[in-house]
Amino acid sequence: MVNAFDLVPLIAALPFLSFVIAVTVGRWLPKEGALPGVAATAGSLALSIWAFLTVRADGAHYDNELYTWIDAGAFELSFGVLVDPLSSMMLVIVSLVAFLVHVFSMGYMNDDELHREKGGFPRYYAGLGLFSASMLAFVFSSNLLMAFMFFELVGLCSWILIGFWFREEAPPSAAKKAFLVTRFGDYFFLVGVVGVIVTFGTAGFAQDGFPQIAAHFLETGEGADALWVPGDLDTQQWFSILGLLVLGGVIGKSAQFPLHTWLPDAMEGPTPVSALIHAATMVAAGVYLVARMFGFYAGLPTVLAIIAFIGGFTALFAASMGVVKDDIKQVLAYSTISQYGYMMLALGVGGYVAASFHLLNHAFFKALLFLGAGAVIVATHHHQDMWKLGGLKRSMPVTYYTFLAGSLALAGIVPFSGFWSKDEVLYDALLIGLEQPLFMAAYTMGLAAVFLTGFYTFRMVFLTFHGEPRSEHARNPEPLRWNTKGPLAVLGVLAAVTGLINMKPIAELIGSDDILYLEHWLDDGAAADGGEWMGNLTYHHYGDLVHDVAGLSEASLAPYAPAAVSLALAIGGALLAKRLYDVPEPEPATERLGSAGTLLERNYYLDEFQVWLATGVTEPVARACNTFDQGIIDGTVNATSSVSLFSGQRVRRVQSGLVTNYVAVIVMSLIVFVLAVGIVGGWFL
Amino acid sequence: MTVAIEAYLVLSAAVFCCGLFGVLTRRNALIFLISVELMLNAANINLIAFSHFYGNATGQVFALFTIGLAAAEVAIGIGIILVLSRNFGEADVTLPTEMRW
Repeated sequence: MVNAFDLVPLIAALPFLSFVIAVTVGRWLPKEGALPGVAATAGSLALSIWAFLTVRADGAHYDNELYTWIDAGAFELSFGVLVDPLSSMMLVIVSLVAFLVHVFSMGYMNDDELHREKGGFPRYYAGLGLFSASMLAFVFSSNLLMAFMFFELVGLCSWILIGFWFREEAPPSAAKKAFLVTRFGDYFFLVGVVGVIVTFGTAGFAQDGFPQIAAHFLETGEGADALWVPGDLDTQQWFSILGLLVLGGVIGKSAQFPLHTWLPDAMEGPTPVSALIHAATMVAAGVYLVARMFGFYAGLPTVLAIIAFIGGFTALFAASMGVVKDDIKQVLAYSTISQYGYMMLALGVGGYVAASFHLLNHAFFKALLFLGAGAVIVATHHHQDMWKLGGLKRSMPVTYYTFLAGSLALAGIVPFSGFWSKDEVLYDALLIGLEQPLFMAAYTMGLAAVFLTGFYTFRMVFLTFHGEPRSEHARNPEPLRWNTKGPLAVLGVLAAVTGLINMKPIAELIGSDDILYLEHWLDDGAAADGGEWMGNLTYHHYGDLVHDVAGLSEASLAPYAPAAVSLALAIGGALLAKRLYDVPEPEPATERLGSAGTLLERNYYLDEFQVWLATGVTEPVARACNTFDQGIIDGTVNATSSVSLFSGQRVRRVQSGLVTNYVAVIVMSLIVFVLAVGIVGGWFL
Repeated sequence: MTVAIEAYLVLSAAVFCCGLFGVLTRRNALIFLISVELMLNAANINLIAFSHFYGNATGQVFALFTIGLAAAEVAIGIGIILVLSRNFGEADVTLPTEMRW
């Protein structure tokens, strides 16, 4: 009997195989490499579901030494798998979204005339395959180093795919920006990985891994001898520094302030790629990493506060920019940044379940919204400006209703999935915030973003689908085939129902925790094959750490009032959008915002600021360093060599080539030597 | 009758100086070779004189070695001179100066 856990590496190997096939023989295959990709991701999905069910039946599986890369005695660098409730859930999400994106791509790329002209499909499907493979391997990574490697591979794939249409002007530059900005964060991550390995002697996530060692030390103060701490630094401070270093990579990948600028530009890539990046693969990686090593963060109050604050701020900040965008994909891009802000906020207040819940829901509804936007784009011959769309409700009913389901989930309207998870995020934040005022600020920003989310989401829906068509293409959209509608339908259903797995207010209402399936799922520390109890990966353990070690206490409050407030805000935003934009001839209302509108339109001038930072600060510093290097350091070396060169040129004239001269010099020297010895020895006295 | 050791030394010094003079002043490679031979044999005279003075045969043995060495040196020297005269038409040591620097 084959064990599902033995086949886990195959989950990543299958898409990798499809990458190899697409690269080598893709151009001769029917559909140019799409079919191997679809088959491989379908296989990954089946294996992931099997692994998920096995975890459900037997418990988690952890093997940190599938392959030992370097064994250095004191520590070893290895590859392994960790399949626990969190990662098995994430495997299903990622492989499902990857599968649907592959199917949708056949409709978006292969069936579209314009895309067929541009060509390059084998390269596209190769990129998708590698992207899925690296993300899946990242998800089941058993240690931080392996996670880092696949994290980097994900970044590389995003570069390949965002810059897919490299003959145009904008995509290559957007790809470069995405790569460089995320690399900037990953630099800190790499330092953090090295720091973790040096400090703990291991980078493993589960049993005897660094989160467990750190938590044990913070709880009991034991085991300090085994830890390496630089200088006189307090151990907890050093842990916080390590946590913040790793967080640098998270902020880059999950597009949190201030490293979010790459994500809106990444819209230059093909739309299915955007769906993949935003829903399942790249941006989710950052938040997933924090959840993965949450046992490490949970005991560090400073880092938690920073995570919560960055999250809350990003949620509001990105939502405010999403309000004024005219490009349907840009609106979605800013909503992604904003939603990942919520997840960070949840993690910062110890809401591990809330963050995972929102990650799950967001993966489905954001993939849905992007694929819906892709369907609109391909049906209207590449029109993304919402002011040139409108009235698509009648001509594209499947797209409209699924998009509406995704929008209701995104805006957080009951009973769609986003409501339940966003509400839980805000509820957790409020409980912590009532006791600690600093977290209250993060909560307030998150709450304010709910209103903006409702507004921009329905502005997008009304402008795209309602009213009268505002261009020829919107009047007669192309019909879509099954491969576009199928994924939309699947995701539409998921976006509507996934919220039901963790309905906190309902559970409170009926006084039974039994319907909190996700919470129970993530609280299961049972290990398969009679292995050790993995209590250090459970929600309970994290809750205890946040409460006892980090000292964040929770207020007690019934969840109804906060839920009602956030729901009211979301509906308020939606109604405002309806008043402004759900009319036959909507007018752009952005001008009425005046200079504030311009500020939002230009993304708070953050791009300009970052360019200025590069050209105005970094470049002069680099120039000065270059001058120092060329002038002082190289100058010293060059001066030494030119002095010896010059003196050598003078001295070599002694070598006349005449034997007689040499003999004369030898004889003279001998005479001088003998005379000198004689004078010193006193022969002539 | 025994000759005083100083006489040998004076003879040796005189022969050596003749050789040195030849090396310093002449341009013909053959004369060079002869001059070097003179200097070597001056050293030989010294070795044998001291050997005789101390009643020890070691010096004489070394003189034999030096003679053997001189033979080898002449063989190489003649070879060089042959190459010289083939390339330059004469055995003038001041002509080949290309290999200095």
